[in-house]
Amino acid sequence: MKTIITFIIMVGVFAIMAIFLPGKFLTVINFQSIASQVPEFGLLALAMMLAMMTGGIDLSVVSTANLTGVAGAIVLTKFINPQMGEGQIILIIILAILAIIASSLICGLMNGFLIAYVGVPPILATLGTMGLFLGIAIVITGGHGVTGFPDEFLFIGSGKIGIVPVPLIIFIICTLIVALVLNKTSLGLSIQLLGSNPVAASFAGINNNSVLVKTYLMTGLLAGISSIIMISRVNSMRPGYGYAYLLTAILVIVLGGVNPSGGFGTVSGVVMGVIILQLLQSGFNILAFSPFFKKFIWGFMLLLVMVINLIIAGYQQRKGKLKTRA
Amino acid sequence: MMNAKIKKIFKHSEIYLFLIIIVFSTIIASINPSFLTLENLFDLIKSSAGMGILAIGFFIILLSGGIDVSFTAIAIAGQYISANVLIASGVDNIFLAFLISCSVGILLGAINGLFISIFKLPTLIVTLGTLSTFHGALLAFVGTKAINTAGLPDCFKVFGHKNVFVLTRANGTSYGLSVYALILIGVVIFSWLILKYTMLGRGIYAIGGNRESAVRSGFNIVGIQFFIYCYVGFLAGIMGVMHISLLRYSNPMYIVGTELTVIAAVVLGGARITGGIGSILGTLLGVTMISILEKNLVLMGLSSYWHKFFVGLIIIVSVSITSYQSKKRGIESLTFK
Repeated sequence: MKTIITFIIMVGVFAIMAIFLPGKFLTVINFQSIASQVPEFGLLALAMMLAMMTGGIDLSVVSTANLTGVAGAIVLTKFINPQMGEGQIILIIILAILAIIASSLICGLMNGFLIAYVGVPPILATLGTMGLFLGIAIVITGGHGVTGFPDEFLFIGSGKIGIVPVPLIIFIICTLIVALVLNKTSLGLSIQLLGSNPVAASFAGINNNSVLVKTYLMTGLLAGISSIIMISRVNSMRPGYGYAYLLTAILVIVLGGVNPSGGFGTVSGVVMGVIILQLLQSGFNILAFSPFFKKFIWGFMLLLVMVINLIIAGYQQRKGKLKTRA
Repeated sequence: MMNAKIKKIFKHSEIYLFLIIIVFSTIIASINPSFLTLENLFDLIKSSAGMGILAIGFFIILLSGGIDVSFTAIAIAGQYISANVLIASGVDNIFLAFLISCSVGILLGAINGLFISIFKLPTLIVTLGTLSTFHGALLAFVGTKAINTAGLPDCFKVFGHKNVFVLTRANGTSYGLSVYALILIGVVIFSWLILKYTMLGRGIYAIGGNRESAVRSGFNIVGIQFFIYCYVGFLAGIMGVMHISLLRYSNPMYIVGTELTVIAAVVLGGARITGGIGSILGTLLGVTMISILEKNLVLMGLSSYWHKFFVGLIIIVSVSITSYQSKKRGIESLTFK
């Protein structure tokens, strides 16, 4: 039901944009720009979604992306000298990507460990790791950006295979994998059960701790992949980049029909939410809204969507259609 | 008899934090002897009073089992709006500034209260949304221009310098204990009275401890929650005016971004997010520790870049300790949470 509503909203937003701003909105350049921003943001949204499905939240996704980006950036810049041959450069790039993936898994593991085994509530755990990861990134780089990556690496961020940009391909693959995990594997089912009712899940034989750790490992991994796209797109890594994504990630997830208390949500809903947001973002850019006004709108929209969800839930409950939860 | 009393004191977690502060201060004093002067102490009180007030507000919300990250936006909104109104109207009265700032604070806090207590939406997401909404609205609709010392009404500067009493140094110059200490003490006493001696206070602890039980005990959940979010807004409004008078400068981009520091101070003081546990004394000790740490990071050879790292680390360590204790207790008593 919620997915249908999200779909209607997406089509509606597109229609409104197309009708009122035909000149600048319906251009190839505009859609290419949208397509280039969807992947890195969408991966963060998927990461946050997984955390939310378990009834938690991961406020550290952007910090994880920052820190892993720094790790990759350092490998890319410190180990490369101009005399290197093509093969060696590719090797360094692979090393950098491995560094990013490894550090993202470590970050995720830390979150998972704190939440599952120490028993820290996800809000506070990820609030703390948000500061910790960003802090480490700042200390390593001294607050400055790291730039100057090899061209072969930049292909990830700006290259195309055919007419499709590489980041979009990566995003589509990750989306399919996440959807597969959530819908067709036992881990996915466990996540949904855990989010719906942790106590019942535990008594049903699900190893809550293991599921939680795996969830946050995936969250960290997705954030790491997002940072690969991020740094290869802008050819630099500066700690502090991307913080606006945090609020908008939560917005798209809620827009996409995920229940913040956990247990319900679809990947297609989140992807549509991401698309809606990017459509709006492009519309706002065309209308030259100030970044402050946009900040206001995103916050306002989050509140609006939450209230609308509440009204819908109340309506469904009255009609007897809502699957009630204890 | 003495042994039993000492044992009882050690049961409270605040004593450990107090001891850590003593140890830490001793280390710093050995590196920098001027740390232990009265003047430095007064300065510490003045500069951390604002954070202390915000921390008390956040602590009360945490007690009720909720979380509010929008208090920084409320503080800067109260500050910036009151400064602009004073400048535009030409009235140079600090009480008017407080009135405007606190009114803005209560209004914004009421918006939080509306979504949280009446619509019953999750507290973190609501306040993340209102943080963005309030700050975005302030910058988009009120303005982004900073107010420098020259353009600032005198009442702020006078207020910032007001002292309770003054002492003179050997060379004739003077220093004093700022009125900020009085305001902090006032807020502390008022909050403490509410928490300890009113039904409202009992209700806050009850909601945080076990919401369902609180409902069935007949507490007015909606009213209590609405009150505390308005109260946080009120405190944020006070802090906003204190902040502008301290800095003699107002930039609408300030204060927002310091949420993590305040949260670290509160959780360091032993308050639990599951609600129902914590004390104002603990919160104040947490603020003291964080303030001393912030001011003396440079002394320990660490640049200000380390700030976020330490704040994050403190949050993780503090929350790990209290959460693990909670978990152990939960397992022993077979409550599944």
